Amino acid sequence: MIHLDKDETKAMVAVHGWSGICLGLLLYAVVLTGTAAVFAQEIGAWAAGHLNSQSAFEAPVDARVRRLSEATPAQYRDSLNLFEVGDHGLGAFFHRDALDAKGMPTERGIYYQLDHGGRLTSTVHGTSEEVFGPHNDDALSSFLVDTHVRLHVPNPWGLLLTGVLGLTMLVAAISGLLIHRHLFKDIFTLRRNGSPVLANRDMHSVAGTWSLPFAFVLAFTGSFFSFYGTIGVPVVAMAAFRGDVQALSEAVYGNPRKSDPRPASIGDLDRVTADAVRRTGEAPTFISIEHFGRADAEITSYHQPKSGDLEPVALLYNGATGAFERAKPTVGTRPSAGGTLSGIMGPLHFGNFAGILSKAIWFGLGFAMCYVTYTGMRLWVVRRGQDTRALAWLERTLTVVGFGLPICLLAAAAAFLVTMPLGSAVYWTTGGFLIAAGGVIATGVVTRSNEALTRRLKGAAGLIMIALPLLRLFAAQGPGWSEAIASGRPMTPTIDVGCILMGLWLVRACWNAARLAHRDSTVIGKGVRA
Amino acid sequence: MTTAWLATLALALSAMLIVVLCQGDPKRLRAAGLRSAAMLPRRRRGLAALACLPGLGCALSGNSAAFMLWLGGCALAGWISATWPRRKSRAGTGAPAMRNAP
Repeated sequence: MIHLDKDETKAMVAVHGWSGICLGLLLYAVVLTGTAAVFAQEIGAWAAGHLNSQSAFEAPVDARVRRLSEATPAQYRDSLNLFEVGDHGLGAFFHRDALDAKGMPTERGIYYQLDHGGRLTSTVHGTSEEVFGPHNDDALSSFLVDTHVRLHVPNPWGLLLTGVLGLTMLVAAISGLLIHRHLFKDIFTLRRNGSPVLANRDMHSVAGTWSLPFAFVLAFTGSFFSFYGTIGVPVVAMAAFRGDVQALSEAVYGNPRKSDPRPASIGDLDRVTADAVRRTGEAPTFISIEHFGRADAEITSYHQPKSGDLEPVALLYNGATGAFERAKPTVGTRPSAGGTLSGIMGPLHFGNFAGILSKAIWFGLGFAMCYVTYTGMRLWVVRRGQDTRALAWLERTLTVVGFGLPICLLAAAAAFLVTMPLGSAVYWTTGGFLIAAGGVIATGVVTRSNEALTRRLKGAAGLIMIALPLLRLFAAQGPGWSEAIASGRPMTPTIDVGCILMGLWLVRACWNAARLAHRDSTVIGKGVRA
Repeated sequence: MTTAWLATLALALSAMLIVVLCQGDPKRLRAAGLRSAAMLPRRRRGLAALACLPGLGCALSGNSAAFMLWLGGCALAGWISATWPRRKSRAGTGAPAMRNAP
């Protein structure tokens, strides 16, 4: 391992400890919501009672798009984005490039939302920022993702904050690697019966060592996504394109081609999607059409990585004829190492490159990161045991955030399930989170000991988890297990069972801890009387 | 063979060896007061190299997704095996058994 001298080690320990303790609680919030967001799509479908399992792009889309284009004013028919929304419904955003009130480039147009059967469910006019907000049936997954991405802080500050948190995680991982002298010797060592400092140190270092490669990967890719739009793009545009972000985007992601503004009907989209499915083995996740209705129209179909690969696939088609042209690199017009690196950032961060298996492993790794962050902060507090009185507020805060945040997320899910049928889930999902946060903080203030607080929060989390499947079935009128399995949605009963088992485990742990505390207090009481 | 099957097979092989390494880890055993069951360093190094072979196989087959699944899965297997509760020794030797519940 890397050997540092005493002073350097001391400095590194200080960097590791203070970087963690200053931003650890926010980092914990980002990592925890990121862990849940790995399954955001599945959680969203579970909560909203989605039953369709066929992609919107595997159903006929051509006739639907033509019908919508006829209803759209010509000024917005320059470009079209197609993507899945809700229960495998279709979202279609006809738009043109525009500038917002601050002079920043945006897209303005009309957003149509269709259900799986092709019926128009909503039409919204505005810029991309205005039309792509959370909807009643995806409020929970949007809430989870938004918390992870920017902690609900307005952009660009939210993204900058989570980017800094990603860098903090990188710093903690590197300094942790440098200060740990026996990285491999201690990789299986857990001394729970040792002193509290030793036990906390072992718990922190074992989880940290095993998840170290992924701490680097997740922190780096997370920071990349946060800083990409907020710093990377404006700086490169300033340096190489005189501040013209549109020109940068065209140069990096565009399809250079001779302009031909003659009107021409768009090619058969059903043929394009069928061909894209045949080439990649996957339905598209997103389709973009540039110069819609012109002879130089181009269709780009985006897909998840092919089996055995990490890099997502993009296929380029001639818009007027629907003929396949070429596979499109993520960046530029020719394949490059930089383009591949940029392409694999998403799958490596989201863990969505090999279906449920990769998501399950990434979920576990995210949980390990949460554990490392939380135990690291606890270790910092326990090490300063002699100053416990001064640091009691910090220990209490750690418990409130560490166990309270999962409760708040569970309460948001419960609020969503109750209010989704009423159509007010967007408001009450956030409301449920905030109400639960208030309750947890109040409990943290009034509870006498930290142990009792931990017990109460664990018990509350367990009870909400047990209640969630019942709320899904009876309040949200969600599908039963047999109906979900028959519809090709096995994740619905899986999440139900997971909630119930985890809830029972938490309630049992709380019950056992309460009994133990009662027995101890009885023994102490008898001792005092004797 | 699909990515999921290849990764699962590679992970199962490596996870078994990780569990064996964990059970024979000298420092872990020393902490539990079970010195006699510790594995020899040469044997441990051999097992660690063997545990890496399935991942090497995934990488050499060009299946980058299976390799990442194997790597992530091994990290989880290692963490879980280290935190798994240790049962009390039947012989009753050494210090009281550790309770390593996660």
